[in-house]
Amino acid sequence: MADDAAAPVTDDGLREEVRAFLDNQWTGPLQDEAERKAWFAKVVEARWAVPRWPTIWMGRGLSDAQARIVEREFATAGAPGTGQDRTNLWANTLLAGGTQALKERLLPPLLRGEVGMCLLYSEPSAGSDLAGIRTRADRQSDHFIVNGQKVWTSYAATADYGMLIARTDWDVPKHRGISFFFLPMKQPGVEVRPLRQITNESQFNEVFLTDAICPEENLLGELGQGWGVLQTALAYERSVMGEGARGPRSGAAESKNEEPLIALAREAGALSDPLIRQEISKVIGLKKLNALNTARAKAEMKQGTSSALMSLGKLAMSRILHEEARVRTMILGAGSLLEGPDFPRAEDANFLTLNAYFTSIGGGTDQIQRNIIGERVLGLPKEPEVDRDIPFRDVRSG
Amino acid sequence: MNSLTAEELLTFQHSTARLLADRSTEVDVRRTMETPSGYDAVLWKAMADLGLVGLIIDPAYGGAGAGPVEVEAVFEEAGAALLCSPLLSSGVLAAGLLQALGDEAANLRLLPAIANGSLIATAALTGPRGSWTPGAVAVRARADGDACRLDGRASFVTHAQVADVLLVAAKAADGLAVFEVEARAAGVAVTPLPTFDHTLRIAEVAFDGAPARRISTSRPAWDAVEEALSLARVALAGEQAGGGRRVLEFTVDYAKTRLQFGRAIGSYQAIKHMAADLLLESESATSAARHAAAQLAASASDAKAAVELAAFACADAFVKICADAIQMHGGIAFTWNHPAHLYLRRARSDAQLFGAAAFHRERYVCELEAAHG
Repeated sequence: MADDAAAPVTDDGLREEVRAFLDNQWTGPLQDEAERKAWFAKVVEARWAVPRWPTIWMGRGLSDAQARIVEREFATAGAPGTGQDRTNLWANTLLAGGTQALKERLLPPLLRGEVGMCLLYSEPSAGSDLAGIRTRADRQSDHFIVNGQKVWTSYAATADYGMLIARTDWDVPKHRGISFFFLPMKQPGVEVRPLRQITNESQFNEVFLTDAICPEENLLGELGQGWGVLQTALAYERSVMGEGARGPRSGAAESKNEEPLIALAREAGALSDPLIRQEISKVIGLKKLNALNTARAKAEMKQGTSSALMSLGKLAMSRILHEEARVRTMILGAGSLLEGPDFPRAEDANFLTLNAYFTSIGGGTDQIQRNIIGERVLGLPKEPEVDRDIPFRDVRSG
Repeated sequence: MNSLTAEELLTFQHSTARLLADRSTEVDVRRTMETPSGYDAVLWKAMADLGLVGLIIDPAYGGAGAGPVEVEAVFEEAGAALLCSPLLSSGVLAAGLLQALGDEAANLRLLPAIANGSLIATAALTGPRGSWTPGAVAVRARADGDACRLDGRASFVTHAQVADVLLVAAKAADGLAVFEVEARAAGVAVTPLPTFDHTLRIAEVAFDGAPARRISTSRPAWDAVEEALSLARVALAGEQAGGGRRVLEFTVDYAKTRLQFGRAIGSYQAIKHMAADLLLESESATSAARHAAAQLAASASDAKAAVELAAFACADAFVKICADAIQMHGGIAFTWNHPAHLYLRRARSDAQLFGAAAFHRERYVCELEAAHG
């Protein structure tokens, strides 16, 4: 990256340059999609989208500290678009593993937000054990033919590309026979079916791949090295996740100043119930503890010490969401029997009860999370894996 | 010492940790807890010399002039080492109460000797109900010429059996006040109570016309008591966080080395998942204790809420960590010789001192309501 690095710039010089750009170009909140696209194009053009990236890829080769200066100036102005070198899962994965041709073609529109993307990881028989995927990609001259089924895919219907893991070698152990692709979604071999969730919503889809075609240049990393590419992608994804979960769906007015559970109990006439008060106290306490842990983690990271705390956030959030839903239900009592727009409080409690599983199962179940904490943070030995070192075609599945 | 830099605080915490690693080993703790006094006078002197006993005492009275943040840091180490000492009673609760009351004569008379460890003081704040509220005070004060006399009973008085001076909350004709009583004066009967936590000392104190000096204050006396209790609760929170962390450490170490069915038991998810959950408890307790200390030190508007949260969160966490640690160890931790039960005993005691978790949870909700209203 040394060759690509822009001439060193002082913090003050950098700050002035960002401010000048924002003063000249930023005209306030974006009103519609067209304005949004136009703005992002300007940010990319002016090399503010990915300031940590090398100059040959629209960046400035800035240090993390200097990139934070840029981010702060954008945040102060209320302007989006920068910091994508931290947050843009798709672009970062592509930069790390993509072929020259694919990077040239897709990086600019990805940074401009013009490419719809989705994830093609999980399968019906590969959930927690993601390396057990059975979707296959077979090479045929200059492209791959893809067959299999993917699940839990958001935005599949509108996506232009899916980040796909598929098996390309069945004769080696499971982690070693996987490859990583940018699969074009808009083709006959790709069929998207919405999945109805327990919340009665449909955010996710099943994706059926039948002789779908993937050009050779859309392979990321080496053939059979997809598991490594996936780890990079997952790390970006996790760093963005856990920053919060959805609140109540009803949008029923909630006091901005008061703790929602206290407001709810007050409204339900349950705030004088000592048992309810104890439960409310526990849940609000858990939320506050998680916020304190997060703050301490950030402080420790700033001091350069790696923090065990970062890995705990998702597990903590699962517990908070389940507990909060339980206490909401307790406060409502028989009121929680009901649902629908006329009963927004019940709707909230019931929705949150079910949607808590989004966090405790999605992105790695609580149980997998506990394995990760136990093994990577506490250093406990791994459980023996009976399928680790045998050819994948001999692995039992069901 | 007021407002140490982060680096100075760390250095200070390290020298505390070194002293305790040296002088409060498990062997020391087991020896000391069997003695009647329940503390090691030599270690006590060393702690005073290091500045730990007079930590929060104003330099004008011979102390280090530190605050809640330093107290919390020291008690993390004390908790980890299961320190047997009247530090909480004398150096935090009694010293904190005296400073909160602000009686110059009493401060001059008592604080320098408390700071150098030559005098041990404690506070008698509750009666046999043990609820640390004004309503539970069961000592009455009456005028006797220019002096005062106390009658009634105080209980759950920490380290009263080794104390030279008792600071006693009592109901006087004009309301609740705090009195200074010589622990060995006529009319004072200190009865040690057997404690589940053998590293702790607790006594009941009966007053029968005991001579007492009223400690003057310009504020409602119970406000001063609450201020001292807040500091003591922060110290306890630190002790719970530090103790919990130590227990988790030795439990995880054991899970890595104990083999069953040909594997380290820590490789089984049944054990691994418990350990992961305990790490969350331990880290959350640490965050809560340090946050409470910081908010109290800054006199932040949410300091009371932060202390209440730390009080119940750290108490619950320490008990859970110790209880689960015994289960994770299996039979070895069911023996007297294993240290896990010593920590569980400490955790269960800490969870009751100065108010139990449910009490603090209720007060936490009250604080949140008040913050809104």
